Amino acid sequence: MRALFAAALSLPLAIMLMGLLAALVPLPWSSWLVLQMLLAIVLWMVLISLVAIPRRAWPPLVGLLVANGASALLLQATSLYGGAA
Amino acid sequence: MKADRMRRYVDLHSWLGMVAGLALFVAFFAGALNMFHEEIHHWQTPRTELANAGTVQGLLQQVTASSEDARQRIYLLPGADPGAMWFQSGQDGAPGEWVTAYSSDFNAAGERGDRPHSGLADFVNQLHYQLAIPTVGLTLMGIISILYGAALFTGLVIHWPKLRREFFALRHQGNVRRYWKNLHNLIGVLCFPFHLIMSVTGAAMGAFTLIALVMGALVFGPQLQGVIDKETQVWPAPTLTGEPTEMAPVQRYLDRARQAHPDLTVDWIEVRGYGDQAAWVDVAASIPGVVGHHIHVLMDARAQLIRVIEPGHRSFNYDTLSPMYALHFGDYGGSLVQWLYFAMGLLGALLFVSGNILWCERRTDRNGPSRSSVFLLRLTLGVCFGVVIGLAGSFLASKLLPYTPWGAEIAVLEKGVFLALLLVLVVAGLRSVPLRFSRWMLTLAPLAYLAVPLLQLVLEGRYAWVVPDNLTVNVMLLLVALSLWVVRALLIARLRRAEPHPLWQEGPLPRSDQAVQTVTVK
Repeated sequence: MRALFAAALSLPLAIMLMGLLAALVPLPWSSWLVLQMLLAIVLWMVLISLVAIPRRAWPPLVGLLVANGASALLLQATSLYGGAA
Repeated sequence: MKADRMRRYVDLHSWLGMVAGLALFVAFFAGALNMFHEEIHHWQTPRTELANAGTVQGLLQQVTASSEDARQRIYLLPGADPGAMWFQSGQDGAPGEWVTAYSSDFNAAGERGDRPHSGLADFVNQLHYQLAIPTVGLTLMGIISILYGAALFTGLVIHWPKLRREFFALRHQGNVRRYWKNLHNLIGVLCFPFHLIMSVTGAAMGAFTLIALVMGALVFGPQLQGVIDKETQVWPAPTLTGEPTEMAPVQRYLDRARQAHPDLTVDWIEVRGYGDQAAWVDVAASIPGVVGHHIHVLMDARAQLIRVIEPGHRSFNYDTLSPMYALHFGDYGGSLVQWLYFAMGLLGALLFVSGNILWCERRTDRNGPSRSSVFLLRLTLGVCFGVVIGLAGSFLASKLLPYTPWGAEIAVLEKGVFLALLLVLVVAGLRSVPLRFSRWMLTLAPLAYLAVPLLQLVLEGRYAWVVPDNLTVNVMLLLVALSLWVVRALLIARLRRAEPHPLWQEGPLPRSDQAVQTVTVK
């Protein structure tokens, strides 16, 4: 069951982390959009596999929730949203 | 790694495999056959239709003369019987649909007849990429690919420390479960790079819409769709001027494309705004020697070069997209890679069956007998044999139906035969003793695949072998038959050496866990 929740929570996190990377890399984000999508997919897969590490189910799921929130807040500090080049 | 952590990884690996396993079996088995999509297309076309085939030029003129939608945008597929695809708008608010026509559909007067066509190659393709489920099937397969990728990562974590020991270890030493485990590990380890490629590229294609939606909603905003279009289209859609112009003949576009790249092989031709001053033509082709082999030669209505998109002269997004498609479709290295992908596709299907069987046996060994393990083992066998034999049934129907009164419904009946066989075998699998069911099916399945080339030989004579595409498809079907026979031989040899797991010998599906335990204790 933890894998199911992990799969759902990892998708937005993987994509927001890629967004943060896109904000950090000194290149127009649209010029490497396909690579961002591929990396987001690999990251999504890896995040699902990482939930198996802790003994109990809830710490990684809470961790994912917190990470999602933190990433969403950090993204607000970038000019990416709505700034399609 | 600590034992309890390793165990959690094994559990997660098994869970992910179980959720995705059956869908992946279908995708891999159909995908192995789909490696020869073009050849199957040629194979399914009766010789009489090919005799009526015309040229790409004739087809373009016939289609654009009768359809305004086709003039806006049309794809031409060169081949023995050239094809054309366009989106036909619906009338009176009805939804439109993609239409495919072949040059053999048209008579000498240029009128399109309503001739039935086999849809076998397209059905195998649909089964591969969307499990033949319309609308949501593609995204579903994308999510399945994500779980498959996560299962690969957990599999890597599990097997990395003992990789050398497990390499080439296919022993059972009297322990039958160990045999399945070793078989699963061997295929998984040997084909790991192939599976990694398939999971990432499959997820990218299947879950593209989902990723784009979430990316648009959370990161880039609503303008993302426009950027995706801009970054992935070869040239913007033309703004039609309404001024008619005479288009150059198709051959001139092809000649001009070959001037740009002499050794290209044409995949398709896209024509936008046919007959308009603003029209453009894209010759989409492949060049040898590079993985990202896709090339687009863009020309205006008079075949004047606009742009060439090729390796070394394309955007980074194209440079990422092109190898992604090529690595998934295995069309970058000629016949050798094509056959290699076919073999690894079949082995991949075996990987998922063995994974499911392992899970059922392991769960029974660990927690005691349960109805869910019995059910899952039988469902696995029923679905897997149902898909394998169902597809053989579709191939047989495709060849046989044109000679029966039901030939007009060939495309529907090919799917119907598959579905009927799948349902019958799933029900039979759930009701039979698994060991007996497997033995019967492993006898029937190779014979079914052997019957297809023989049927074509009987119905169409030498045509089954002298045409290279037919020969390729028939050899492929014989290899599938041989592979299934080898699996049968392995199963029999294994049973001679060791007793099967009790799960394989139980009678009718028990109604409760208590009933399972009673049967097993007996």
